[in-house]
Amino acid sequence: MQAYSLDKAETLRAHLAKTHCLLEVRDSDEGSPQWQQITSDDKTPFCGMRVAQFSPKAFFFAEREQLFTFDGREFVTTLPDSAPQALFAVNACDLTAIAYQDRFFAKDQHYQRRRSATLLVGIDCLSPCDGGFCPSVDAGPAVREHTADLILIPQSKEPDAAWFVAVNNSKGAAALQGLQLQKAPADWQQLRNTHEREAIKAFPDASYILTGVEHLNAGRISAEFWETLGVQCLACSGCTSLCPTCSCYTTYERNTDDDDTLVTERCWDSCLYDGFQREASGHNPSATPGHRVERFWQHKFSNDFVAEFGRYGCVGCGRCEQTCPGVIGVHSVMRQISKSCTT
Amino acid sequence: MHNLTPSPIRITDRYADGEDACHFEFELLNPVIETEMAKAKPGQFFMLNVPGAGAAPFTYTRLPDSNGRFVALVRNVGQLTSALFTKKPGDILGHRGPFGHGWPIEEISGKNLLIIAGGCGLAPLSALIDHLINTGHAQQVAMIYGSRTRELQVLGRERLRWKQDILFHETVDVSSKNMPQGNLSSSSLSQNHLSKGSPIDHIDNVITQHGATPDAVLCCGPEHMMYAVASHFVAEGLAPTSIWLSLERRMHCGVGTCGHCYIANSYACVDGPTYRFDALQNLMQKTAQFPDQYALFNHC
Repeated sequence: MQAYSLDKAETLRAHLAKTHCLLEVRDSDEGSPQWQQITSDDKTPFCGMRVAQFSPKAFFFAEREQLFTFDGREFVTTLPDSAPQALFAVNACDLTAIAYQDRFFAKDQHYQRRRSATLLVGIDCLSPCDGGFCPSVDAGPAVREHTADLILIPQSKEPDAAWFVAVNNSKGAAALQGLQLQKAPADWQQLRNTHEREAIKAFPDASYILTGVEHLNAGRISAEFWETLGVQCLACSGCTSLCPTCSCYTTYERNTDDDDTLVTERCWDSCLYDGFQREASGHNPSATPGHRVERFWQHKFSNDFVAEFGRYGCVGCGRCEQTCPGVIGVHSVMRQISKSCTT
Repeated sequence: MHNLTPSPIRITDRYADGEDACHFEFELLNPVIETEMAKAKPGQFFMLNVPGAGAAPFTYTRLPDSNGRFVALVRNVGQLTSALFTKKPGDILGHRGPFGHGWPIEEISGKNLLIIAGGCGLAPLSALIDHLINTGHAQQVAMIYGSRTRELQVLGRERLRWKQDILFHETVDVSSKNMPQGNLSSSSLSQNHLSKGSPIDHIDNVITQHGATPDAVLCCGPEHMMYAVASHFVAEGLAPTSIWLSLERRMHCGVGTCGHCYIANSYACVDGPTYRFDALQNLMQKTAQFPDQYALFNHC
């Protein structure tokens, strides 16, 4: 992997914004950091690592999108706009989630259309974020191999520190063309490894999560336990919306305003909804909240999915804990499992 | 790449076939797709798009022919099927498929088969029964078809045809006014092969009459009935690897991405809807054992 020295991240950002629709995470009026589009002449200083309330999954797997139209005789596929976009400074955990969804949606035209038009600029995290436990699930804090096209590597924790930019592939190399950059000193990778080791040490103990995962995979969690958690689930879909690897969707039709053309769209769905599996006959294979809560956590931590995806479905971002009004996010659930199965 | 866009099909025929059920014949309008459709196997399914109502999975009761014509049996139980029942010959709908794994044609070849269907569960078996008869295996097939009442029986024309070739026994849970009461028996087979009770009540009698213990059992119907059938044969010593069940699940995509048809780490639209019983047992054991849910079935 080749790396270059970069005095200011803003230089790279402005360069990429000339040829891409560029998005980065900024504090918003809503009170939580959000992905925002910026232009090449934006003078706002780069604020470094920020955890967005929403993961960037919607930039590929849209929250709502058109699939096809029907004019009464023909069905016509509608593919999304494929203009180049760049996601600037994506955290390691979210990049790991994108790599996970790349595999899941490998044959999805709509996803791949957006994904292939996207440049991913990752950023190494030098310190833990609130609720994050990426080291426990091998998703960070440094950007994982082959999950980004370019990686922003802070040279130190100082606010005005310089950067290295590492090039992961030809797409990343092409994006740097036109920038005059000096090669990074030979020890850049060593410095990066040191920073990651220090960052990992700063993470709070999350051993209960791994203990919980062990119990889950050993089949030690009873239906009664899941039903107890199910009582706390409001089926609000906050966790599935914010989870960067959740991918369920439903389809529905709507009429266009101006003519008789029918539009079929898909939008995010949630396995925690009562009707998610309900059939027209009334048969519902996941009829109780306990069923559905178990499904969510099995999908995140069952070893059965590892064969297909090479890893767990959880990337340790902690967003489910932050959003869940019923206090059954990952930390709460894994603490309870860990406690209940060992006492 | 997955294709989420349907191909247009036209309704060419329809007729009532059992209470609240209708037999639809479709014809593909775009001949380019025919080669893909021609690969359809008994027990596979397609996504039927009913403009204005959405899409849902249905099985082919008769597989697509070289002209892209195929047949489906549909019972009117929900919003989409209600919309479908307002359609008439000439109306255009959408088709995607074939999807999923059908019946294990190669594994069951040459074996003595007992096929058990419940309610509309006869539909996914229809193309298989035709296949077995057309390939000269009729003598090795016995069939039990159970339904709640005689009025709810489906595929009337097909059953008449099949009865000429295979041992075909019918059961009804509840007798009705139109039923010849004198011919009903809950303990033995009646002369006209119609008995009261569940299919399971008559398994032994049918096997005796067929004169051959089944080497393989194929079943489709309400999930509880299928598990009861499978458990019966496992208890009788038949290996779970010789039992196949076809499951129903809600589906929106047919290609394993919408997530609705999950069974543990399996998606029924891709790995099923036909599962070998040992594989299904393995999936069921991956999750906690919840008490049985006694859902109200409007129709089965």
